[in-house]
Amino acid sequence: MIRNSALSLGISLLWILIAAGTCAGIVMIAGASPAAVAQALLQGAIGTQYNISNTLVQTIPLLVTALAVVIAFRAEMFNIGVEGQFLLGAVLACWAGQAAVPGPLAIVVTLVASMVGGALWSLIPALMLHFRGVQIVLSSLIMNFIAVQVVAWVVRGPLQEAIREYPQSDPIRAAAELPKVISGLQLHSGLWIALAIALLFDVLVRKTVFGQHLKAVGSGLRASKTMGLPVSRILFTTVLLSGAVGGLAGGIQIAGVTHFLADPYSKGYGYTAIAVALLARLSPIGAIPAALLFGALTSGSSAAQSAGIPVVVLQVIQAVILFSILGARYTGTLLRNKFASGATA
Amino acid sequence: MSQPVLSIHNITKTFGGFVALNDVSLALHPGEIHAILGENGAGKSTLLNILAGITQPTRGDIKLNGTPVAFSSAVDAAKAGIGMVHQHFMLVPTLSATENLILADMVENRAWFGWPAGPVRRRIATQAESFGWDIDLDARIDTQTIGAQQRLEILKALQGERKILLLDEPTAVLTPGELPGYFATIRSIAATGTAVVIITHKLDEVVSVADKITVLRRGQVVHQCLTADTDVSNLAREMVGDASNAFAVLTAVNEGNRVSENQNVRVELRDAAAVSGDSVLRSGNVAIQEGEIFGIAGVDGNGQDALAALLTGNAPLSKGSLTICDVVIAAQQKVTPQDFLRNGVSYIPADRQTDGLVMSMTIADNILLDRVSEPPFTTFGMFIDQAAVNRFAQSEIERFDIRPADASCIVSTLSGGNQQKVVIARAMSRKPRVLVAVNPTRGLDVGAIAYVHRALRAATAAGCAVVLISTELDEILALSDRIAVLYEGRLSETVPAGVGKADLGRLMGGAVA
Repeated sequence: MIRNSALSLGISLLWILIAAGTCAGIVMIAGASPAAVAQALLQGAIGTQYNISNTLVQTIPLLVTALAVVIAFRAEMFNIGVEGQFLLGAVLACWAGQAAVPGPLAIVVTLVASMVGGALWSLIPALMLHFRGVQIVLSSLIMNFIAVQVVAWVVRGPLQEAIREYPQSDPIRAAAELPKVISGLQLHSGLWIALAIALLFDVLVRKTVFGQHLKAVGSGLRASKTMGLPVSRILFTTVLLSGAVGGLAGGIQIAGVTHFLADPYSKGYGYTAIAVALLARLSPIGAIPAALLFGALTSGSSAAQSAGIPVVVLQVIQAVILFSILGARYTGTLLRNKFASGATA
Repeated sequence: MSQPVLSIHNITKTFGGFVALNDVSLALHPGEIHAILGENGAGKSTLLNILAGITQPTRGDIKLNGTPVAFSSAVDAAKAGIGMVHQHFMLVPTLSATENLILADMVENRAWFGWPAGPVRRRIATQAESFGWDIDLDARIDTQTIGAQQRLEILKALQGERKILLLDEPTAVLTPGELPGYFATIRSIAATGTAVVIITHKLDEVVSVADKITVLRRGQVVHQCLTADTDVSNLAREMVGDASNAFAVLTAVNEGNRVSENQNVRVELRDAAAVSGDSVLRSGNVAIQEGEIFGIAGVDGNGQDALAALLTGNAPLSKGSLTICDVVIAAQQKVTPQDFLRNGVSYIPADRQTDGLVMSMTIADNILLDRVSEPPFTTFGMFIDQAAVNRFAQSEIERFDIRPADASCIVSTLSGGNQQKVVIARAMSRKPRVLVAVNPTRGLDVGAIAYVHRALRAATAAGCAVVLISTELDEILALSDRIAVLYEGRLSETVPAGVGKADLGRLMGGAVA
């Protein structure tokens, strides 16, 4: 036991050194000082109250979209269309947020509309799977490209601002905005929604019949079918739930951050979400630190960028950090297996 | 006599508490065809895997040309000149013959690149020619016949001038018409000085191809002789033994007809047809009663899968009629396994690992796979009451003697016999009115076979109608009250249990009752 944790610690330290060394090398090749870049990154991620808030603001859409990915991937429903569901959620949230709905109900209506948008967008791949056996991984990806065009159209058509100057919508009504957590900072209460969904999914996955079914269908589709689980219904529900949560991420972004829709709208949250979910090993709780890491990297990078460090270098650093985490995990499993088999031999 | 090219001495192999091989010795000489004969579970495959370096013996020595060796992997054994053809082909269907052989070469030599392809292709062509084979080396594997694929497997196994060829149940995939050609091939390979080991449980094949025969029974060598000194009936007696055979014991206690006129019919087929994958049931007429075991015999691939799927809601009825547990199913009617389960139809599928179990889940999860959503296992209709689940699983584990007796144990870590017990526990825990069991003892050891047979008997005692679909004729004879035979998708007339093995054999070959 003790040897095991010492081993894990050793592996982690080794990979931190590898990651730091590689990053430093790259930065030096690019002709900058590694210490300065590290300082800029750290400063940008957690240096000030404002930067911490920015990190969390970046984390929220990543966490919510990652949770959408987690729930679908657990059933081996490879919904890589969360990006599109995010966009449709944003479109419907923007539309509903402009409607004259009284008081606190406005926020609820806005967010529910975004969930409906995301769910409807995932309904199309779900139907294609059910009736024609089209693989979700393909159909959901294609829906992303259509979603981008839908956004481009609505901000030039039905949702374009009243003065019709730019391809963007009018802002939603103030009542439909998510309140800030601390006044003066960008951080909004979407954070609590994201954390609540993570906790909810954790319970859903571990404690409920639905979670049990997800597991059965995900790891033994044929046995589940033959042994009488309602497989079609389970897969349908999973894809729609994933779509709804993906859409909600778009709604939270509208209600919490931008307050209006523009073209293009997403920074690829739905794609990054796949990396976040896999980094979290499809654990809803694990998605929280994983999203936070990506949020910090994003926020740190944009600060470092304005300090004059080329964006390409920052992207390489992000990639090195990711690969190092995966490398550490892989060597850990490898060594543990070696020790385990050595113990029994 | 010449020095053996490969010999094993006092080999013992245990898996946990199970002794697969016990003190087995064997010598292979160049140019000799050595058959290893035995029933399912006698230890043939384990022995072959040890020769091929895939598994390592618990005790005993292996000598290559008189020198002791220890193989730590199949690649080791291959480098020492031992090639193996597996029962299931290990060819990539979308690649050509040449590409497959290059791939095998790369794996073995841990090479990064497989080109240039020229020398390999020329070598294969020469070798194929030396056997007198005409093989299209550039056509995709999936466009070639089974016979051609098997010849390729042999070429693959013999790559690099190997002198020992191991064949695991090679004839299982061949039609009777392909057999003489295949045996001629084996003989021509042996004639080049290669030692050939062939594993089978088919007696007539052994007699027609082998020079020497070793009979295994329950992990021990019970008989070793030259083919010239023996005959089929002698071999059969050695293979089965006397009273030690689980099937034989059960045959003795099977008094046969428990069927009387006035019992309820639980399953009735009239001109029923169904399709499941590439398995076709063309026409079935049968009435199966409560309290009986109804055996459905037949050679594999004659419509068993379609019949099982039809009876369990996994395939729709395409024509005719089906009445099961008083529910009438119409042709083309949409059916689901859930409906059949709720009606009291339980299922023990042929392939327990893909159709019966979710291998990465626990024993408890698997026993309650389809029932976890029902009370008393849920509260508020959605939250799983883990305590109730474990309580129930634990009682089933004790009732069916599943080992280890730990409800939270992952099913993939269990032995085949215990995995099957989990499937049976789930099927029986629903108190079924109809139980469809397909090859329920395939791959199990003697103790587990006896166990499964007792469980099926117990089900009939509770009034269940058991439909036993099995390709093991001995099993059908040991358990069934009445029997029908599937041949080319057609179900024969029902015959009583007392019918002789020879008569059933004729029906399985297509004769009319």
